[in-house]
Amino acid sequence: MMKLAKKENQQTRETLYFGTHPSGLKIYLMPRKGYSQNYAIFGTRYGSVDSEFVVPGDKTATAVPDGIAHFLEHKMFDQPDGSNVFDAFSKYGGNANAFTSFNMTAYLFSATEYLHDNLRVLMDYVQKPHFTNESVQKEQGIIGQEIRMYDDNAGWKVFFNFLGCLYQNNPVKKEIAGTIESISKIDAELLYKCYNTFYNLSNMLLFVTGDFDVEETLQVIEGSIIKNDPFEGRIERIYPEEPEAVAKRYHEQKLSVSMPLFMCGFKDNDIGYGGEKLLKKTIETEILIEMLFGKSSELYNTLYNEGLINANFNAEYNPQIDYGFTSFDGESKDPKAVFDRMLEKVHTLREKGLSRMDFERIKKVIWGRYIRSYNDIEEYAHAFLSMQFADIDYFSYDAVYKTVTFEDVERRFRAHFDPEYAALSVVNPV
Amino acid sequence: MIDSVQINHNITFYYIPMQKLKTTTFGLYIHRPLCEAEVTMNAVLPYVLKRGCGLCRDAAEVARYLEELYGAKLHVGVTKKGDNQTIVFDAETISDCYAPAGEQLSKGVMELLLSILLDPVLKDGAFDGEYVAQEKANAADRIESLMNDKRAYARMRCIEEMCKGRPYELSALGRTEDMDGIDAKSLYEHYKKVIPSSVIDIFVCGDADMQLIEQTIREKIRGISFTDANLTKTQILTRDGDIKKVTERMEVTQGKLAVGFRTNVKPADKEFWALVVANSVFGAGTHSKLFNNVREKLSLAYYASSQIERFNGLLVVNAGIEFSNFQKAYDEILAQFEAVKKGEVTDMEYESSIKTIINSLNSYDDDQRYMRNFYLDQSIAQTGCDLEEYKARIKAVTKQDCIDVFQKVELDTVYFLAGEGDAQ
Repeated sequence: MMKLAKKENQQTRETLYFGTHPSGLKIYLMPRKGYSQNYAIFGTRYGSVDSEFVVPGDKTATAVPDGIAHFLEHKMFDQPDGSNVFDAFSKYGGNANAFTSFNMTAYLFSATEYLHDNLRVLMDYVQKPHFTNESVQKEQGIIGQEIRMYDDNAGWKVFFNFLGCLYQNNPVKKEIAGTIESISKIDAELLYKCYNTFYNLSNMLLFVTGDFDVEETLQVIEGSIIKNDPFEGRIERIYPEEPEAVAKRYHEQKLSVSMPLFMCGFKDNDIGYGGEKLLKKTIETEILIEMLFGKSSELYNTLYNEGLINANFNAEYNPQIDYGFTSFDGESKDPKAVFDRMLEKVHTLREKGLSRMDFERIKKVIWGRYIRSYNDIEEYAHAFLSMQFADIDYFSYDAVYKTVTFEDVERRFRAHFDPEYAALSVVNPV
Repeated sequence: MIDSVQINHNITFYYIPMQKLKTTTFGLYIHRPLCEAEVTMNAVLPYVLKRGCGLCRDAAEVARYLEELYGAKLHVGVTKKGDNQTIVFDAETISDCYAPAGEQLSKGVMELLLSILLDPVLKDGAFDGEYVAQEKANAADRIESLMNDKRAYARMRCIEEMCKGRPYELSALGRTEDMDGIDAKSLYEHYKKVIPSSVIDIFVCGDADMQLIEQTIREKIRGISFTDANLTKTQILTRDGDIKKVTERMEVTQGKLAVGFRTNVKPADKEFWALVVANSVFGAGTHSKLFNNVREKLSLAYYASSQIERFNGLLVVNAGIEFSNFQKAYDEILAQFEAVKKGEVTDMEYESSIKTIINSLNSYDDDQRYMRNFYLDQSIAQTGCDLEEYKARIKAVTKQDCIDVFQKVELDTVYFLAGEGDAQ
């Protein structure tokens, strides 16, 4: 049996076991004593942005239709005997699901009983694709309805229109499910091509958490790994060149909503790296978002008191290796006024500087957020996986958190919160 | 495990220890009868209270106070459970044992909650007029924005149609037409009536000193003279007349179908648990008939599922479909409904349903809000069930019980959200 390394964290009082199997699969086990639920997530570093790539060993690039990663995720649920893998999970009370994001695809389940049986089902079906052109055709109908559902979803539209403002070429601006047109070009052969590239175990990661015995669970995992030759080289992902400038400052769409929805924010041009450096940048940015626009900030309270925003006002930073952006979203009678006031505030602060007192207080908030992220094992697993695919060790967050200083945050403020790289997307009522 | 202390006739304090999580959460619920006379005032009230109190003069100070507690959270809102409208204060902090400098975070949160509830900022013997005006506008926006999520909107409209003339027709968010009649003075008068004359449940879940919190509550309510209050008993709705068909049009690209049934089962009836299992067979989960037929077999929808509204005896099916597939989807939903009634339930469907429900009940053990909501629902439905007992009743349901209980379920209302100018 393979041997796992062990890491303990005094601050969070948690332990992590991890190692890489000879097949190339990275395994992370995090026991959580007393939890009723167990949660497993089996993910590949492959998302909607990966539409052009060079398979290790190949000389030429392969381009595939938009939406194929998500389509592939749907088709993994079909079994060779015509059954549906949900039935296999249901037998053990497992609650199974899967999702595709910009940068990863993940298959998961939660179960309060029969962890090992459910785990075997998960590992088995993700390693055994079964695609036929008939089943691909059937899926085009279901995904077609999924795409249409999003067409009416104002929150979704305001988000993608925002990305369309920020990015000229980066595929993050494209919808994850593709379009009805793009998915019509998908067939079984293309699915196998993508599968054989990105579902090589050396491009995948398994994270299991809950109340279980590490040795026993590891044994089940090892027994469920189907022989695999890990890639020697990397999968080369081809992304188009992205200029620093935004594609446009403003985009507007009309949908049947009660009042205008908006999303605005800043494109991050300090990109191209992952790991601790990316984590540190993320913490700095999250502190800044709260300092400048959080519920205690002057700007938030002025806008709220003037009726320009309401309690539905959210902000987040989205950190990835190849792109990054800070976004603010909410509802407003006058989104342009909100946007202008934000930029004005940024201008003023660039001259006046930030408040050290605010920094000290908000740094506490970020710590609370990290501690809280351990509560929900499902959310934790997702955060862990997505960070891991950006080469970040979320378990050792505190080591990086401690190093963040006021000066770091001031520097990051000047680099990222630059009105030149800001844009606004609005969905207006019909 | 749950501990409770009756503070007085109206107020109960519940403590659910859950040390494996790293937080402690607080839920303070004020129950009011759901009725036209006060539904809108109740919907505005918590948002005005949150604007300032004795402890924190304004919203920015409330925010700073919470930030100092390592980003503790405080949310207010309003919901309905049967014919009760419930004003909700929800708070969360990391547990004291994770406070880097040994601060008493839970106590800090409880003090803020009680100050917001009992010690509001006043101006000339009433609430601050500006706050009231702003929160009325926000409350009106919340009502209007119910149309934004089309899936939830279709479901809500179907239920509204099923409850015409009954309290449950009212949205917990209130009515826009009532806003003009509310001002700083009338809302404050209402507030003064609400506190001493309502059933109030206070839940703390996590890792806290129960005695200390109980003592804090007793201290803060000293001097208030309470009048005995009781929860409103919800009548389940029975069908009268023909099947109702409602089509509404909006500029949408996908149609939303909601099919409403009356269950004729009350939440404390002994058949209720069979209904939960039967609903799961019918449409709650990937093992269900709706998922496997409407979605997987016929590719008509990305989602097609059913949920129970337990307090009022309703069951609603939801699906997002092409406009032109209305009849096909409707026929298939009804065909699957009839299949359950006729006893066409496989062992696999039945067993998966039980396992799925038990799995989800087990998971309440890991979630403080689910847990306290479970106990709140049991207390309102007066089932007298704890979580273990509830699970035992689910496990005791037989396949025949599911089939039997579905004989009582009747089709009532078909609601369709269609596109503008669409033929259907």
